[in-house]
Amino acid sequence: MGGVNVIVTKSLNHDDAKEKSGSIPQATIHSHEVIIIGGGLTGLRAAIQIADAGLNGAIISKVHPLRSHSVAAQGGMNASLGNVPGEDGKNDSWEMHAYDTVKGSDYLADQDAVELMCREATSTVIELEHMGTVWSRLENGKIAQRPFGGAGFPRTCYAADRTGHNALNTLYEQLFDRDIPVYEEFFVTSLVQDRGRCNGCTAIDIKTGNVHGFVSKAVLMATGGFGRIFSRSTNALINTGDGHALALNACVPLKDMEFVQFHPTTLYGTNILMSEGARGEGGILLNSNGERFMEHYAPNSLDLAPRDVVARSIETEIREGRGFDGGYVNLDLTHLGADRIMERLPGIRQIAMDFAGVDPIDDPVPVQPGQHYSMGGIDVDINGATILLGLYAAGECACISVHGANRLGGNSLLETVVYGRLVADKIIEDNPIHLEQDIEPIKLAIIDIEDKIGDIMDRKDNGNFFRVKNAITDIMFNKFGIFRDSDGMDEGLVEIKNLQEQFSKLSPINKEKPFNQSLIQFLEVEGMLKLAEIIALSAIERKESRGSHTRIDHPERDDVNFLKHTVSILNGEEVDITYKPVILGMFEPKERVY
Amino acid sequence: MKLKVYRYHEGMKEPRYDTFKLKSDPSITVLGALFQFQQEFDDSIAFHYSCRGAVCGTCAMLINKVPRLACRTQVASLIQGELKIPLSEFPAIEETVKWNPEEEILVEPLPNFPVIRDLIVDTTSFFNYYKFVEPVFKPADKTPEKERLMDPSAIPELELYTNCILCGACFGSCPIDGKNPDYWGPAALAKLYRFHIDPREKKGTDRLELANIPEGWWACEFYGNCRRVCPKGVPPLIAIAKAREQLNDINEKKEEEP
Repeated sequence: MGGVNVIVTKSLNHDDAKEKSGSIPQATIHSHEVIIIGGGLTGLRAAIQIADAGLNGAIISKVHPLRSHSVAAQGGMNASLGNVPGEDGKNDSWEMHAYDTVKGSDYLADQDAVELMCREATSTVIELEHMGTVWSRLENGKIAQRPFGGAGFPRTCYAADRTGHNALNTLYEQLFDRDIPVYEEFFVTSLVQDRGRCNGCTAIDIKTGNVHGFVSKAVLMATGGFGRIFSRSTNALINTGDGHALALNACVPLKDMEFVQFHPTTLYGTNILMSEGARGEGGILLNSNGERFMEHYAPNSLDLAPRDVVARSIETEIREGRGFDGGYVNLDLTHLGADRIMERLPGIRQIAMDFAGVDPIDDPVPVQPGQHYSMGGIDVDINGATILLGLYAAGECACISVHGANRLGGNSLLETVVYGRLVADKIIEDNPIHLEQDIEPIKLAIIDIEDKIGDIMDRKDNGNFFRVKNAITDIMFNKFGIFRDSDGMDEGLVEIKNLQEQFSKLSPINKEKPFNQSLIQFLEVEGMLKLAEIIALSAIERKESRGSHTRIDHPERDDVNFLKHTVSILNGEEVDITYKPVILGMFEPKERVY
Repeated sequence: MKLKVYRYHEGMKEPRYDTFKLKSDPSITVLGALFQFQQEFDDSIAFHYSCRGAVCGTCAMLINKVPRLACRTQVASLIQGELKIPLSEFPAIEETVKWNPEEEILVEPLPNFPVIRDLIVDTTSFFNYYKFVEPVFKPADKTPEKERLMDPSAIPELELYTNCILCGACFGSCPIDGKNPDYWGPAALAKLYRFHIDPREKKGTDRLELANIPEGWWACEFYGNCRRVCPKGVPPLIAIAKAREQLNDINEKKEEEP
């Protein structure tokens, strides 16, 4: 590992600490100019940019970077390359990409950020190609593109159905080649501030259980989403919203947390993703009567309407009794033929066989909607900067607001790589090189975290905290799922509060330090409970239906009162909800019709 | 159904096995069973996990004496004897502990890696071999403005190797890795071959020469376990055989020349 490692005896300059901690264990402090928290596509792309600019950057990651959730992305990455013409023979453009994105967002996206992403899209896909990513190709050798939901052109560049895997491996290879340090299996426990600036963080080295300090001049959050707060989710088990919780505790606001995307087609039972690419290739949804029900909900776009529309349609079919027992519909690919399925969708075929015992070549795949993506996140401006000087965020954990109230398929991989690079550029431009790095605040922060862990471990209640984890995920899916209403959400909020209260008395049974995964999960759940409350309050206060946020008691979109971003911030133990305007621009809000 | 799990942490004289009775749920995976173990029996157990969907390669372990991903291995199928994979034997997968495959699932750490704790192994040497193969794209030409064109017919073979998720199951199943700790192993060699056949790379034999050493292409004895256990169908054997053939061809040509 690179960087300057300073061993400090933590009680040296701090009388309080001496008094509190009694023993004098040693803590390690690492120093880097830029710390990137998270090793997925965003974190890796940013780290490469930081290294190429000659800055000393490092990644801190809960898992090995190749185990990041980005690896699971299947469908593709949008860019108006124009390699495949539209139905009318016309060529795609970044403006059309921007239009589809803004319309898909139900007009809640900030249009300046959307414009930037769509303009940068083509060079971003090509940049990955130049780094060695293996993309699927057309007969003429160019990068292949396929249709995705809510898009007017076949715009989604793909690598069969392993786009995330191919892109992540490519970026990891580049990272490896540059010998950029990665603090692997470190769980970040707090962001540290000094004189109004974020100057590092603390993290538990999971392998030893020791708390380390990281002193830096800028911190980039790239921690991904929080899907695991919902019982049915396509997300990796590690997606517990840790970055969001860290930001909240540092009094950095979160934005639009009520907007949670439910993917229409997740495998019944395990909720593993069945890529939108399956419908892009011609897959159709059928109810228990064998009807192609999307004809009734989106007569023009059919099965390739945006995700919020299709997810609601499936859920309605199930609720009205036209689903199968257990609550699912069928995704039929059989008519595509074995060759096409094996060429374009080999990964999802394997998943269907492994996890549902169904071969899509012969039989339809049972699917149901499940949580998939978090449109909301850490509130950042168009540069990825938060209100806390020195703290930046990009990728799914951030809400730069390119997805607004609903994300289009193929836009999230794009966002990770575009903004991984652009936000790193901003960090380089804000060049923190001349700042002094003071390690005193980091030392104090280490002591705080050790005390906090000590307090948790000393709790006498032996209740099983894993039950709280399971309970919160059920509440979130049942009360804050695809369809929401005031009564259900109010009940849900009370239940969340009760769980927070119960949880505050619990403790992991395992008290050992090395590899205490129980403690790590405990800390994850602590953050999840806080985020759950924020999602709940944001959703209760938004009395309209927009994008993924569908309220039975307020079925219409209300631009007069709610064409605005929800901003939530932790004020002591309380959550304050305020609003700020959406940045409009090229496209005037109008009703979405598909 | 029971889960019989290998337990070890620093300071123990020798590992022990814990047995836990599973709540009967026919659809549970071994990873799900481990979470049950952790949540209801002993929360001090350590094991790696991430995607739970067989794409990230984190949870490779030895299940019923075969290296597999815990997340995609169904308990019921194991008990019914459906997931038997015949492997060429080597000491680590021989009978080391008594277990009844009709009612128990035996879960142990991946062989050929040092055990750190319980089911967690040290992958340092595995990633060192990854490092040896210089796994980064080395383009033939200057960076063009647009994408490099690529013949789509070149992709299926390339995909065979890009599909590798670096889970380590192949390394853990390899009798050679078991006895020769210097052997680079199947995953690293497959990765090397992936770059060698990339049509966008510089033409030549540099990549092949990199592993033209006893610990590289030449250490393999073609037991074939790597291919049999790979959750992604990657065939390191084929890569190794082809690399040797190409190197032999080059040598023959050299000998022919005066």
